[in-house]
Amino acid sequence: MINTEGMVAETAAKIYTDLCGREVPHEAEAGQYPQALWDALAENGLPLAWVSEENGGFGADYDEVFGAIWVSAEAASPVPFAETLIGNWLLDRAGIAIPDGASTFALLEGNTASVPFAGTADHVAVYDAGKNAIALYKTADASAADGQALSPDSDTRLDFSTATPVASAATNLSRRAVEALILTVRAVQMASAIEAALNLSIAYVSDREQFGRPLSKFQAIQHQLAIGASESAAATMAATQAASALARHADDPEKAWHEAVVAKVQIGHSVEAVTVPFHQVHGAMGYTQEYDLHHYTRRLWAWRDTLGNEHRWSKLLGAELAVTSPDQIWKGVTTGAWIAS
Amino acid sequence: MQRFNFPVVQPDPALEELRAELQAFLKEEREAGNFRPEPECWMASSDPEFSKKMGKRGWIGLTWSSQYGGHDKTALERYIVTEETLRAGAPVGAHWIADRQHAPMLIEHGTEEQKLDILPRIAAGECYFAIGLSEPGAGSDLANVKTKAEKVEGGWKINGQKIWSSGAHISHYMVAILRTSPADGRNRHVGLSQIMIDLSLPGVTIKPITDLSGDAHFNEVYFEDVIVPDDCLLGEEGGGWKQVTGELAMERSGPERFLSSYITLETALHQLQGKLGSDSQARLGKLIANLRTLRGMSWGIANLLHQGVSPETEAALVKDLGNRLENDLTLQVRALLNDLPEDEWSDEMRRILNIGILRSPPNTLRGGTTEVMRGITARQLGLR
Ligand SMILES: Cc1cc2nc3c(=O)[nH]c(=O)nc-3n(C[C@H](O)[C@H](O)[C@H](O)COP(=O)(O)OP(=O)(O)OC[C@H]3O[C@@H](n4cnc5c(N)ncnc54)[C@H](O)[C@@H]3O)c2cc1C
Repeated sequence: MINTEGMVAETAAKIYTDLCGREVPHEAEAGQYPQALWDALAENGLPLAWVSEENGGFGADYDEVFGAIWVSAEAASPVPFAETLIGNWLLDRAGIAIPDGASTFALLEGNTASVPFAGTADHVAVYDAGKNAIALYKTADASAADGQALSPDSDTRLDFSTATPVASAATNLSRRAVEALILTVRAVQMASAIEAALNLSIAYVSDREQFGRPLSKFQAIQHQLAIGASESAAATMAATQAASALARHADDPEKAWHEAVVAKVQIGHSVEAVTVPFHQVHGAMGYTQEYDLHHYTRRLWAWRDTLGNEHRWSKLLGAELAVTSPDQIWKGVTTGAWIAS
Repeated sequence: MQRFNFPVVQPDPALEELRAELQAFLKEEREAGNFRPEPECWMASSDPEFSKKMGKRGWIGLTWSSQYGGHDKTALERYIVTEETLRAGAPVGAHWIADRQHAPMLIEHGTEEQKLDILPRIAAGECYFAIGLSEPGAGSDLANVKTKAEKVEGGWKINGQKIWSSGAHISHYMVAILRTSPADGRNRHVGLSQIMIDLSLPGVTIKPITDLSGDAHFNEVYFEDVIVPDDCLLGEEGGGWKQVTGELAMERSGPERFLSSYITLETALHQLQGKLGSDSQARLGKLIANLRTLRGMSWGIANLLHQGVSPETEAALVKDLGNRLENDLTLQVRALLNDLPEDEWSDEMRRILNIGILRSPPNTLRGGTTEVMRGITARQLGLR
């Protein structure tokens, strides 16, 4: 289970309950940005949770913050809360002053990168793996490619080649450390969204009647949701395992890479296994903009592409395991120690 | 709020020491030719000699008190023994069910005399038990059992038939669910009781059934006027249904629900290290991510059980996911092996893979079918 106790998670839960009711993601999609929600998060300093005290944050432990991320995904947060946490984490690790307002992040290879919430966040913290540097840009300074987005907050391709950074600095953060954090945050969001979509599905089939009884009484429907539930439970486990590895290796997040990748692969592959039955049991209603299901399923489709899709990551993990001894693989499976020590 | 409760539990150095001891023992036994690894080893590979060796090392009966021949250890230590022997494909089938299921049942419901007599023999790897739930007319519909136990002077008289009783042909006892009074109209769960039957008693006939892999590990068991003493009733008369469903929940989340075929992968990996092409690497990555996740879930449940919490839904989820994974594992290994020319496959690899294929159908049947598991989950989700 993702830890939802503690000040950060509880404050976030209260803010999301008060200011992000069911209607809010709908209104946001219709162009009415929930400024009050963002302001409340910012006033409470939540986007700075992972920023060190020297840099104006409160240096919270990793696992204190994951509960807040869970809550935000459960509410289909239309503001870039998790993205700002990641962006600010990157800036802080490079000693760059944290800008006001919402931020996002990108992992740059070459000139372009996929950037979530590119249209909403004021700033983007860019990790350039080739240069081992982190730079802060104004999002508006990078040029955006045009394309059909999977979700309102999903990735836009930004081209940074002509943009000038507001600040930049070298970093000794390894690429794997950055990947571990980003993938773990996404894993927590995805597990939360899967569970939220499961809950919607259960409520819907219990309510909707056909052939004179609720859909929930049909065995075929029950079994589809039982499969969804098992995938949901597995997603939560994988996310929790990744979050826990990051908490354990707070001084060296690179060591949490394997558990983060396991979560990326597990949950990425689960997306199809949950979105298919959840949409199926909702019938046509689930395909409408008016209903809530797509707030979760569209985000899941977008998030599974973060830093590349599950096939890419299955292969990255597999390539490493393919030259690893069977004994070491077994050790990884049973204890989470993936590297010979 | 999170719906499912799977705690993440970090490895414990003491447990890892135990793991290392087991690995050394299993390697030595295997290299000495004392066993040939097989998938489904906990059901289909029985070797009383091997069980006695495990008993001597103190690896059976870990959880019960030394007064009864046990070792005063925890369920977590037992978990490590379980997963290492499964990984090795070791012939643990003889003692498995007694150790996992019936010893805890006797501790809860047995008389002092039974405990002193039977538990030390189980722990020594010398006394085996069979599960007597299924009947020809009672599979998924378990409440339909017809085999009867009638009260007679000083005991019970048993008539009827059980089927699919794994290991009954080498077992000393069966714990059976029997009808001790007629079903109460609509409520078919009343009037069922659990009774321990000494399989050497007159009137017991055991006929092995050969499975499609050619193995004969499960059986038909007939009872004709078999008389067992009073104290063989375990738990409450008429309370059998509740006891059985509780016990099934416990047995559904163990490592045998997702590691039965791991030996197939392990054997293949020895051959394939450094030789996998790009598609296969992706398959391997996914498979291992699934295994790691499921192991986390199963280990989380083991820790909850250790704290006295019995999470029935989580156990059903693990069984359903786990059974799918262990079947998928065999299929994935077939795909991975394409990266090696067939004439380079070892005979051992071919043997294990073929056994794995032949023994894959029961994964999603025994211990409750996938459909039954999904029914349990649906009930917990509030859909039924
Ligand atoms: C290798 C092996 C070892 C076993 N060992 C033992 C043992 O030691 N002791 C013991 O007592 N039993 C044992 N069993 C029996 C096992 O528990 C049963 O096979 C199982 O409970 C299913 O019962 P059945 O075979 O009668 O199938 P059935 O109940 O006839 O089911 C056939 C199919 O129909 C489906 N089905 C049935 N009812 C429903 C429903 N209501 N809704 C949807 N689908 C349904 C089932 O899921 C299954 O797919 C063993 C089985 C195997 C394969």
